[in-house]
Amino acid sequence: MKILIAGAGEVGYELGKVLSQEHHDVTILDQRQSCLQRVIQNLDVLTVEGNATSPHSLVEGGANSADLMIAVTSVDEVNIIASMMAKRLGVKSVIARVRNDELSQADSPLSPSELGIDVLIHPEQAAAAEIHLLVKRASASDVVSLADDRLQMVGLRIEPDSKIADQPLSELAKQFDELEARVLAISRRGRTLIPHGDTQLKAMDHAFFITKTENVKNLINLTGHDSSALRRVMIAGGSDVGRLLAKRLSADSYKWQIKLIEPDKEIATEIANSNRNILVLNGNPTDPNLLVVEGIQEMDAFISVTDDEESNIISCLMAKHLEVKKTVALVSKTQYVPLSQTIGIDAIVNVKASASDEIHRQIRQGMMLTVKALQGIKAEIIEVVAGRNCKMLNTPVRDLDLPDGAVLGGILHNGHVEIAVGSSVIRQGDRVIVLALPHAIEKIDKLF
Amino acid sequence: MLERLKQNRIRPRIDIKLVSGILGGLIFFLGAALLLPFFVALFYSEPSWSAFLITAVGSMFLGAVLFFLFKPEEELRMREAFLIVTLAWFVGSLVGAFPFTLSGTLESYTDAVFETMSGLSTTGATILGGLTNEGIQNPDIEALDKSLLFWRSLSHWLGGMGIIVLTLALLPLLGIGGMELYQAEYSGSTSDKLTPRIQETAFLLWTVYVGMTFVQFLLLWLHPSMDWFEAINHAFSTLATGGFSTQNDSITGFNSVYIDVVITIFMFLAGINFALHYRLFTGNTKSFFENREIRFYSLLTILFIVGISGGLWIIDNYSFGDALRYGSFQVLAILTTTGFGTDDYALWMPFTSFLLFLLFFTGGCAGSTGGGIKMIRLMIIAKNVGREFKQILHPQAVLPIRVGNRVIESSILKTILGFFVVYFLIFAAGAVIMSFMGYDFMSAMGASIASLGNIGPAWGDFGPTENYAGVPIIGKWVFLTLMMIGRLELFTVLVIFTPWFWKN
Repeated sequence: MKILIAGAGEVGYELGKVLSQEHHDVTILDQRQSCLQRVIQNLDVLTVEGNATSPHSLVEGGANSADLMIAVTSVDEVNIIASMMAKRLGVKSVIARVRNDELSQADSPLSPSELGIDVLIHPEQAAAAEIHLLVKRASASDVVSLADDRLQMVGLRIEPDSKIADQPLSELAKQFDELEARVLAISRRGRTLIPHGDTQLKAMDHAFFITKTENVKNLINLTGHDSSALRRVMIAGGSDVGRLLAKRLSADSYKWQIKLIEPDKEIATEIANSNRNILVLNGNPTDPNLLVVEGIQEMDAFISVTDDEESNIISCLMAKHLEVKKTVALVSKTQYVPLSQTIGIDAIVNVKASASDEIHRQIRQGMMLTVKALQGIKAEIIEVVAGRNCKMLNTPVRDLDLPDGAVLGGILHNGHVEIAVGSSVIRQGDRVIVLALPHAIEKIDKLF
Repeated sequence: MLERLKQNRIRPRIDIKLVSGILGGLIFFLGAALLLPFFVALFYSEPSWSAFLITAVGSMFLGAVLFFLFKPEEELRMREAFLIVTLAWFVGSLVGAFPFTLSGTLESYTDAVFETMSGLSTTGATILGGLTNEGIQNPDIEALDKSLLFWRSLSHWLGGMGIIVLTLALLPLLGIGGMELYQAEYSGSTSDKLTPRIQETAFLLWTVYVGMTFVQFLLLWLHPSMDWFEAINHAFSTLATGGFSTQNDSITGFNSVYIDVVITIFMFLAGINFALHYRLFTGNTKSFFENREIRFYSLLTILFIVGISGGLWIIDNYSFGDALRYGSFQVLAILTTTGFGTDDYALWMPFTSFLLFLLFFTGGCAGSTGGGIKMIRLMIIAKNVGREFKQILHPQAVLPIRVGNRVIESSILKTILGFFVVYFLIFAAGAVIMSFMGYDFMSAMGASIASLGNIGPAWGDFGPTENYAGVPIIGKWVFLTLMMIGRLELFTVLVIFTPWFWKN
């Protein structure tokens, strides 16, 4: 696939890296020489120096023949204009990052498609949404909402006193019959396992369950966690993610008590002015004194989303030390992800990963609805529609020859969800949830 | 453009010619307004017609000469606007006082100016019917010519929405610098301009004002105890939150529940921002009913009516109906700074009269015709106090003050706090001067706040059944200055007396 990426910033760079590794022909367009230099030195892509709003540069970047353009410059307006032009130049599909969400609202006078944009992405918003789900599910490390939020996939650590530890999964299925849930993957000491009927859950395993949304609470109790809801949340850092998260939380019907710490006086004032139910503190989020004065020890959750990822990890560790129930850190360096989970941070959120999730979904096109890379294990969760040519229709799941490294999680049939068991059957038009290791993704795609 | 800048540089800091020119226009306009009572005098064939005609023609002539002598063409600056507005109100009172003396009704020119300023500033304090310090017996209100009574009410009505705002609405002559003049006179926030052009906004505000006055006139006229003349006068006086009546006993003289209720309701309405009235009439009910200031105003009104009527009922032994009728009337008369009376609150028990005393420090909504500190300022100050407490607990928190969805910026907050401090300083200064003249504690304090807040009746020697006739001449000038300062919301007048105003 020929892909043109406008903007060689953080997200553009990361996408170029991922997509070139997946054997796409990537061209990156940017007007900053220094950014392109880094791209040339590290990635196997073509670079074009020029402004994304210049038709000439777009043509030079191959907009005439590209299958996909991804506009991820730092300016919304540039992305919009680049998208409009690229569409005219013949790019088949266009993804643009637009941070202003007014455009995607129903009352907007211009719809994204009128601007030539097929998919709007907003990675910071996606990351904020992810954290939002995480604080709602206090003890989960990952929460992925599937099938219109009727199913949820949650990552949970098995506590030593859990009732389900050290028993084969087939036993558990009989024992907890009414709790429809399925273990899709287990991360044990850094390795990813796809479980079978006789696999046992060990204490300190990280297990990924799929279940109906209403059952998540019971499931969390079973793994030895307290499912009680969080209430007091402290957000360190008022950058885009922090601000969007604060906004989401305060718009929730649930009464969160939110404190947000932002070092920049102007940003702090702006956030305080635009959000009614948030206590905004103007101070350094890594200053232990401030954290203690503002009662970090009484917090249920501590979310560190400053631009400085090292300090995010440190302040989360400090919060953990003060027995905050849930800590979430914004970490972009992939090398840090496994590390931070072993030292006890409950969840990691990665803006770049959110962006590439959204783009992946578009590239793998066709029938895929949700693609989500899981943190800590090398697997993706995919929601896909079974088309007419699907090779697995009308056969019980136990007789299917699924590729190695893929598990069926759930099926949404005519608005009715079920957790996939041996006797389940996929019919045409069903939405199927699959967890797949990277090497199996391609095969799964073909099967549907 | 460059030439413009150059011109501006040669212009003196305060362009006296420009100020005189625009002032001339305003005086001309006031003269034209004086023709109305002249016609009333002709209609009733009263001898005072000549007084009105002389004043009207004289001021129109003077105004026209000034205006054409110094044709105002330059751009108006804020300094000049402050000066023009203050002078317009002051000169307006000096001119408007002539009919009282020329017709021989009032012997003392000071008294005449006091009465006119009290009218224009919508205070409603009177010197009629009393014996002055110099031993002159002023005539009773009922003994006055109808044309003079009409002029008193008309002065309320003109001053209520503002002379300048009216001039802006009717005459394009103030087109240049209209915005500056408007800002210097109008009590509401200029951000609730209704239309892009200030002249049109002024016109719409006056249309609403005239419309509401007309409705009240009809409602009052419907009642047999008021003839059309009294109905007009009281409609003028109510909508302007003034307080002049055509009778010595104020509204008590009509002794009608219906009239009490109509006036109570219209006092309440006059205390609301007229820009919001306009929005309500044009179908924008949401911005009216969701306005925080209106809610606060209504809440305060209800709380005080409950408190005072309850007090009158239980402590003062009024019947329930009377307690509600007199309680709510007095609450709104003071809260909106109208100053009508149907009951002598000086005779109330301590609890009820003290509650009413608190209302002397309130006032209507911003952009209404009411005076005083005004709801929005009280609201913001109350919120600021709350914020200070919260700040003690969270020293590093950023705590914005909100009114509805609007965040009050710290610069506005500073202005409001400054207003508050200056307001109380001036109130104290007024009270000190009065006490120096030998008035007792409550009289001095009450008269000072009643003048500054444009209320009218006060306490003690200036209670609702008393008048201001007995005040020494200097005291009267102090009062009428307080009225003007209060009506123009302190800073417009006070800034002229700062040394910085005159320095480069």
